[in-house]
Amino acid sequence: MKKQLTAVALALMFVASACASNDDGDTPSAQTGPTTTVAPARGGTLVVAIGSDPGSLNPAVTSNGGVHTASEMMFNGLVGWGSDGKLVPELAESWTIEGGGTSYRFNLRQNVKWHDGRPFTADDVKFTFERALLRLHSRTQASVGTAQPTIETPDQNTVIFRFANPYAPLLQQLNVTEAPIIPKHVYEGCTDLATVAGCPANKTPVGTGPFKLESYTIQEIKMVRNPDYFRPGLPYLDGMTQRVIPDPGTQLLALENREIDWVGSVPGPDIERVKANRALGTATAPRGSGGGNCTLTGVFNMRPPAGRPGFFTDLRTRQAFWHAVDRQQAFRTVSFSQGKVAQSPINSGITWAAATGLNLPNFDQNRARQLLDQVGWRDEGGGARVARNVPNVPDGTRFEVDWHGFAGDQTTYGEQLRGQLAAVGITLQVKTEDNATFSRNVFNQREFDTAVVSYCNGDDPDIGFRRQVDSRQISTTAFTNGAGYSNPQVDQLLDQATREPDTSRRTPLYRQLQEQLVRDLPYLWLTESAGLRAFNASCTGFNHENTGLFAEAASCRK
Amino acid sequence: MNRRYVVRRLLQVLPAVASILIVTFAVVHAAPGDPVVAVAGESGNEEYYAFMREKFGLDRPVHEQFWTYSTNVLRGDLGVSFVQGREVVDLILERVPATLLLMGTALVVSTVGGVVLGALAARRPFGPFDLGVSTGALVGYALPSFWLAQLAMLTIAFRTGWFPIQGMTDARADYTGLAHYLDVARHLVLPALVLAASEVALITRIARTGILAEMDSDYIRVAQAKGLSPTGALVHHALRNALLPVVTVVGTRIGFLFSGAVLVETVFGWPGLGRLVLSAAQTRDHPLLLGMVLLVAFSLVLSNLLTDLLYARVDPRIRYR
Repeated sequence: MKKQLTAVALALMFVASACASNDDGDTPSAQTGPTTTVAPARGGTLVVAIGSDPGSLNPAVTSNGGVHTASEMMFNGLVGWGSDGKLVPELAESWTIEGGGTSYRFNLRQNVKWHDGRPFTADDVKFTFERALLRLHSRTQASVGTAQPTIETPDQNTVIFRFANPYAPLLQQLNVTEAPIIPKHVYEGCTDLATVAGCPANKTPVGTGPFKLESYTIQEIKMVRNPDYFRPGLPYLDGMTQRVIPDPGTQLLALENREIDWVGSVPGPDIERVKANRALGTATAPRGSGGGNCTLTGVFNMRPPAGRPGFFTDLRTRQAFWHAVDRQQAFRTVSFSQGKVAQSPINSGITWAAATGLNLPNFDQNRARQLLDQVGWRDEGGGARVARNVPNVPDGTRFEVDWHGFAGDQTTYGEQLRGQLAAVGITLQVKTEDNATFSRNVFNQREFDTAVVSYCNGDDPDIGFRRQVDSRQISTTAFTNGAGYSNPQVDQLLDQATREPDTSRRTPLYRQLQEQLVRDLPYLWLTESAGLRAFNASCTGFNHENTGLFAEAASCRK
Repeated sequence: MNRRYVVRRLLQVLPAVASILIVTFAVVHAAPGDPVVAVAGESGNEEYYAFMREKFGLDRPVHEQFWTYSTNVLRGDLGVSFVQGREVVDLILERVPATLLLMGTALVVSTVGGVVLGALAARRPFGPFDLGVSTGALVGYALPSFWLAQLAMLTIAFRTGWFPIQGMTDARADYTGLAHYLDVARHLVLPALVLAASEVALITRIARTGILAEMDSDYIRVAQAKGLSPTGALVHHALRNALLPVVTVVGTRIGFLFSGAVLVETVFGWPGLGRLVLSAAQTRDHPLLLGMVLLVAFSLVLSNLLTDLLYARVDPRIRYR
């Protein structure tokens, strides 16, 4: 392949490195940090593909994935993720938790400078939370915001968050994705912080991050090294360019053609080819700018609106559905074995909270048929079963249910499941919808039988998992408790776990919770998805845990 | 040229654009889905969504929203994009040049190429060249542009280094002056050719048919009887008259060219309007989507107007009606 590199002289610098051997790149740990004693190469520009022109580069005023992907490298959170997946200090140097989780005291790092040279202070943190994050960042607003913290700044290097009730998951929500810190002096004059029209600085961001903005055009965002970055010596790269390439297939071809160095996700059918390419490195990513630890989840409508048959109000029907589907097979076919088959309601990426050894229904279609017979779903020949004395379903109704999902993996799962379910007498109709239509049908009007949602759990069950099963989150708001599942015991366990600051004591509470969920089966937990990143193998030092600052310590051999 | 004809024709533009505005507004608002969810992401709570809805004015009655919008449009204010938070006018204007370059190149290539191929094919009707061109045109017209784009990418650009896969400029270089223009030209070749492909096919066939019809006319026969060679008669006499339908078609194809550009730009990562339309539709970004539709509608009406005026110039019968 090297021989075919032509034209651009710049591409030549990669030829030598393509000869050098590189580790297999499958495991994030093998890729992260300078593991060799050889000093990382300095200089060069990393060209990264992004899927859309974000329009704005202020991650504190939105949870929009496009904005975050494009801007996080210019900012920092108070806390970050180390390459081992543990919390590490970022803008906060250290912290203490007081009052059993009702108060968090952060000692800020000193001598940190904003890109415009002004010093970073506690006022910036207070301003960012009060004016931006707790009002405009939808995830942080819904999680930390709901706990209603008061933020105090006793001096310029100290920030204290106080809560009325103990709030355990705060630290997991302070990284650059969930809580990027912006400078007060730049943004306080804005008439409308959320828009570029009301806040021109949203297009010319000033942060503390390893790179600062050089230029922003419709085609690309160019950033250069921040020489005053608080981590001495970092970053190694002179610059980073984010190129807007909407089509994932084109992104990958451009990577293989050496026009760019990094793509955030490899389409399923291309995975084998990419892994076999020695000139490319790969790594699986547990987090993304839209949240982390996502589980692709089937949703049973347990609370249909009036006039709609309650197909899934009976537990035995949901059990039958579970027994009828071969999750393993669907995982291999649709997800190309990226990620894993879910073994617990909580995503296993939250290691301390996800339960193991749960008794989830196995693939057993005979058992499924028995259960359906018991409920009153009769196999009268001719495809779908027919309701005879099924609770909440008019007699004579055929077991024909819809499956709402987004185009792509979500509806492809539906196609896979359709074949499996047909074998037990359930007809599944796949409905492909865009985000807006899906939200209306499933969450707003509840006009659906089954749906599929990628529930991103985040780094604490309280962030992204709770909304799935909390009865108080049965709402018209999208991506909340879609099943309409309500169990007072579950609600109580959720509250208990949120208020318990000691992780080791939260673990058994979440286990109890998940055991109950497995008994009730409001959802069909399918696959814990994992995106595959691919990059030029001559570039190393990526931190795949800290998505936002993944290239902070990256370097490219010339 | 008759001034009354031009004025009357210009006045027709107003109701056309106004009705396009009303219909589009109605369709966009009738479409399922809440733009606030698209903007705010999946994890906001009720309070947050209500706050956003009020901010965008989406909590007010639709007729009120329409009134506000249309009066703003008359003042040249297309509003602020929900998703990007920027003036729609700015968003559109900064992308117009890239799309115009792509569409303009494709239009010139397809018109010139189509006419030349059509004329060559018409020289010997049903000869091998004509059959080849006609078959090729049929195939070219049938191929969807996004598919052709990927095919071109895989065969011509991938690992050959002849042409880049994506973008309008090289991501690693900072060219200026002449080198910059050459760089853009190199990036332009594939997308422009792909976009031109189906248009070339159409124009080839229309030019060929038109020329064949003219070649059968009495005046051509007279010209040839007076000693003009067949090629000379074709180039100097038949071609000019055969161009009338070509002018019509080119004028009405602007809209198709634009929708083709949406796909081609997406596949090639060309930083034009196409990608903006796509994302505006997906995120229910009403102001941006309406702004884009207005722009396209207006340019369609304008290009039809130009076609009519051009037609009146070429064919005197039209302007005296």
